[in-house]
Order: sequence, then C-alpha cells, then structure tokens
Amino acid sequence: MDELIASVVRGLGIGSTYALLGVGFVIIYRATKVINFAQPALMILGGYFTSLFATRAGLPFPVAVVAAMVAVAAIGALCERVALRPMVGEPPFAAAMVTVGVFIVLLIVAFRLIGTQVLTVGDPWGLSRTSVLGVSVAQVDIAKIVISLVAIGVIGVFLARSRLGLAMRATALDQEVALAQGVDVGRIFGLSWAIAGALAALAGMLIGTASGGIEATTALVALKALPVIILGGLDSIKGSVYAGLLIGVAESLTRTYQPEHAPFLGANFDVVVPYVIMMAVLMVRPYGLFGTPEVQRV
Amino acid sequence: MRSFRSGWIAAACGGLALVVGGCGSDDAETGPGVSDDPCPDAVNEDNGCIYLGVLSDLTEGPFAALAVPITDGQVAFWQRVNEEGGIGGYDVDITEYTRDTRYDPQEHSAAYREIEPEILALAQTLGTETTEAILGDMDSDDVVGAPASWWSGWNFEDNDDGLILEAGYSYCLESQIGLDWFSENVAPPETVLAVGYPGDYGGDSAAGVEAWTEAAGAQFAGFVETAPNAQVGSQDAAVGQVLQSGADVVVLAVGPAETAEIVGGSAANGFTGQFLGSVPTWNPALLDTPAAPALQALYTNVAPWEDLDADTEAHAAIRESLGDELPANQGYIYGWIWSYPVKAALEAAAENDDLTREGVRAVVDGLEVDFEGALPATTLGGDPNENVNRTAVINKPDPEAPLGLSSVATGVTGTNADSYDYASACSG
Repeated sequence: MDELIASVVRGLGIGSTYALLGVGFVIIYRATKVINFAQPALMILGGYFTSLFATRAGLPFPVAVVAAMVAVAAIGALCERVALRPMVGEPPFAAAMVTVGVFIVLLIVAFRLIGTQVLTVGDPWGLSRTSVLGVSVAQVDIAKIVISLVAIGVIGVFLARSRLGLAMRATALDQEVALAQGVDVGRIFGLSWAIAGALAALAGMLIGTASGGIEATTALVALKALPVIILGGLDSIKGSVYAGLLIGVAESLTRTYQPEHAPFLGANFDVVVPYVIMMAVLMVRPYGLFGTPEVQRV
Repeated sequence: MRSFRSGWIAAACGGLALVVGGCGSDDAETGPGVSDDPCPDAVNEDNGCIYLGVLSDLTEGPFAALAVPITDGQVAFWQRVNEEGGIGGYDVDITEYTRDTRYDPQEHSAAYREIEPEILALAQTLGTETTEAILGDMDSDDVVGAPASWWSGWNFEDNDDGLILEAGYSYCLESQIGLDWFSENVAPPETVLAVGYPGDYGGDSAAGVEAWTEAAGAQFAGFVETAPNAQVGSQDAAVGQVLQSGADVVVLAVGPAETAEIVGGSAANGFTGQFLGSVPTWNPALLDTPAAPALQALYTNVAPWEDLDADTEAHAAIRESLGDELPANQGYIYGWIWSYPVKAALEAAAENDDLTREGVRAVVDGLEVDFEGALPATTLGGDPNENVNRTAVINKPDPEAPLGLSSVATGVTGTNADSYDYASACSG
C-alpha cells in the first residue's frame, strides 16, 4: 500500500507538470486554432532562465521563478508577433508548421545557452521528503502538485472574471464576432502566447527540480503534453488538467509495477502508456474526454 | 622535408604529382586527404597538410555535452603536434572537415560520404552505432579512425575490420576492473545490479558485470535497461528497480543527469548500497545538483586514465594547452588521449613514405602507441587477450578537484578482469 501511495503521489507530481504544459497548448489553440509545437522549447528556456536568475544572479528562488516566467512570456509574445501574426487567415496546418520552425529555432538557442552543462534551478526542496498518509514522499512532488494547480487555478479565474479573459473566451468562440465587438484579436493572440510561455516556464522550473538537473535535451519531455491535450480535448483546460494527472499517474504506476509484474512488455514501457491511453479513449470519444465535438452542416 | 624545397623542386614535383599521386614530404607517396598546400591557418606555412575528418555530436544530440569538449581536446592535441613540426612535413588539420552528425547513424553516414574524398583518416567518429553505420564504407575506402566510445567490439577485427584505433579499456572490462577493485578495497559484493542504456554502452558494461559475478561467485541481479531523460522523462523506474534489487553494488552506464537522479533518488529512498559509474556517467556540474551529497557518499567513478591533475607528460601537455581555462568536463581529456593512436599511425605511415590511406591502414596491425604516460604503451591489433588494456583509474567525487573527481587508485588491475577470456565482443 505504501508503494502504491508513493507511486500515485509521484504520478500526480509529474502529471501536474504535464497539465501545466497542456493548458498552455489549449490556451493557444482556443485563441488561434493552432497547436503550438514550440511549447517544449519555451519550457526548456524557462528552466534555463530560472537557473540563470536563481543560481547565477542570486535572486531569491520565488523571484527567479517569476522573472523566468516573465522572460519566457515575452519570448512567447515576440514569437507570436514575428512568426505567427503574418499567418493570420492562413490554414491552421500552415501556422502549426510555422510553430515547428519556431520550436527548432528556440531549441537551437536553448542548446547554445545551456551548452554542455547540467543546470540546476536552485529549488528549496532538493531530495527532502515528507509524510503523506504515513508514507514517505518527495517534497518536490507535493510542490509540483500545489504550484501547478494554483497556477492553473489563477488562469481559470483570470479567464472567468477579467475583461481580458472574457475577450479571450470571446475570441475562442468566434474570432470575427469578437472583432466586431471591438476585441483586439491580435492582442489576444499575443496574450495567449505570453500566458502559454509563462506556464511553460513554470513547467520548465518544475522539471528542472529533478535531482540530476536539466540538460538542453530535456525539452523533449514536454512532447508528452501532446497526448495529454489530445486525450483531454484540444480546447478544454479542464480536460488538460484531468488528462495530465491521469497520464502522470498511469506512467508512474507502470514504472512501479510493470517491470516486476509484466516484464514481457519490455523496458521503459511507461513511455508508451500515454499513447495507449490516448488511443483507447479516442476510440470511444474522438474529441477527447472534454473536447467540444465539431458539428458541421452537410 | 618541405622546408627544403625550393620553387623549381615544387614545380617539378607538381608535374610528377600527377603521375605518382602527390609529393608531400621528401618522397612520401600521398593520396586523398593529403595536400602539398599549407593547412588553413597553418602553424608551419612550409608544411603540406593532412586533413582528418571529425564526425561528432556537436549541437542537439544526446552526447553533445561530452562531444564538444572531446572535439576541443582533439583540436588542441593536433595543434600541439603542429607546433612541434607536424608529421613527416605535414601539419594536421581536423577542423576543415568537422561535421555535426547529432548521433544519428544516417546523418553520420551522409556526412562521411560528403567528407570522405577530402580526408586521409578520421580523427574522431563518435558513437558505436553511428560508426558501425560507416564501417563498410570505411573498409572499402581504407579509411581508419579514432572512436569516441569504448565498445568492446573495437578490440576485435571481426567487428571493426581493423579500422578503429581504440585507446584504453572497453566498457565490458571497465565494469569488471571496477568490481575487482571494489571487492578488494571495500567489500566483496554479494549481489550486483547493472543499470544502463541498452546496446554498445550499457549493454557492454552489463555483460562485464554478468561475467564478473560468474567469476566471483556473486549474484547477478540483472540488467535494468533505461534511457536518457529526454526519452523516458525521469529515472523513477530505474530507481524503483534499484530499491527492489537488494543489490549491494549497482554498476551504472547512463548519462550524468541520469546518474544523479538514480543515485540521489535511491539514496533519498533509503538505499545504502554503492554505485560504480562508467566513464560517461560523470559531469563536474553534478556537484551543484541536489544529488551531490549522495554522489559523494555512494558513487565511485571508473575511468581509463587519470583526471586533469595527473602527473604524466600527456596530462602536463593537456594542462598547458588549457592555460588558465578549465574544460566543461573530462571530454577534453578523452579527446586528447584518443588522438594518440591516429598520431602513431600517421607517423608510422610517414616513416614508410606512404601517406596514402592504404599506407596508414597497413601500419595499424601491430602498431605501438605511446600515450605519454596517460596509459600504458599499447599494441593495436593482434590477439586482444594479449594486447587489450586492462587497467583503470578509480575516482571519487571531490569538490576541490579541478573537474570534480580525484583519484583514489591508479593503474588498477583486477584478478577477474585479468583472467577474463577476451575472445569476442561482449555485446552487440
């Protein structure tokens, strides 16, 4: 039982990080109908900036995290303005391909910045442990869950209660109508990218709390958010949260139990699990757990 | 030597070169990759130029953190060779045909085909799978090369066609020597677990662990196959299996970040066994990670040669080349020492007045390589059981050491590693 609880807490920890990344994907998708493949690169830049501000500039850790989120939000908004805004009106597939280009450019920048180093983000949790239901778990997993859910909650309140949030929701529903109502849609696009960048930076910090730190190649971890958003529904923030947590826990349980109980599945089977779950769910719910079914007049 | 040549000799040579394929130093026969013109940015303007290729992982691949300093170390090595006059009247250039193949066998192969017409040999071909992807071409082109890996297959002609000029032990022997040392100096392990990447690196190391446990009468707890964090996200699964294994020694053959995660995660969960890490498991930056205390307490690094502060002629030259700068990690030292066999081959070929690819390949079997004290003098080719290097250096993490490691034992050999029947590659 102890092992099960510890495994679930680990899964919720990494799953909440997937949820953060997934929410960033969804916010951009809702505003622009484009899947932002640059999100992994924004994540690793977030880890880099957190490390830079916390360990080299010596800023207090919370200040460093906020500064990194601001820096990556600015990068995200800049990417939207330079690379994506000219694609307005073009097919979403073409714009998605542009985000692949942005991903490659940002990833190369990240490789240049990080170089040969293993970076640490200077977090206060380290390898410390605490007790949950009498079971020893890593403090960093609790921190991941709390920080991610608080950040997603803040985004939810912002979207529900603020004028800008209302404008973002209006844009998500119908860009032309929003434009007719005086919403500056271009500004909403930029804001979406900035919010997604900030969330990716936060996720980068959380991934960077690993005891081995982060390398430039860690960016590829963020690709795990792709099955999360497909599973949760491309336009559903709630779906991303549930799917992220589900996939995180499923991965963790697989890591814990599969090597002993199903060794015939081979090493590292947990890597496949998100995709297996995604395919299984899509067979019965093609728009994901919480996605909006597309209705077309024929 | 070229410095004695005057204009009319050069002119005559130019005509004759069309017939005999070049006229670099004195009467040496030359071919592709050897030019009578000086190298770009030549140290010796009067020398010709030998071009060596480098196929490495310099930006986005999984071993870029190590490969960049490896390449820097090789550049510095050949710079020193050039400053000492070059080889047979030629400077050696390894920068003109350096290509980033990102540890991708297809890109490795494509880059090889691109640079092959212009090079005499390869100063570096990084990785085992990538190198295997070009071995057939290297064989038909008679191009030899220095590996940037320690796969046991490089010791056997069946695997490398005698084209790979290795330096130091193999991963397979490394784990055996490490376990011998541990057994004799710490405590005889009863149960040993191997954790690593499948294939030439982790697989080779694990094969050595299994052979050692058989010879020593210990229990082999198995081989936990993991992968870089970029692929699997974290090492939680490996940590779980370490905790379940009941091993008193775990032999690691993974990357540095993964090492810190496995050692740190296992220690945080109460694991009290020890870890022996293969050469590439270390990066000085690990001492800044949360896992540093666990690494200092539980981790021992096995290496083929000593770290930066060693008292050998080779290490003194390495330090001189660095000046006041420290490299990012030990890769610089690897790159430097991996270059000695190619230098020896070029010198032997020049001695034979045959600086063609065939001439270089012909000298490899039985070639004596002097590593200026970094390694015992080694003979390439022949019977691996006789000639392979079976010595290692044992290091512990040390925040005071230049690159975070200090030696606790050098020139280490072991009973089981010495008696291991090295008749074929351990893996692959």
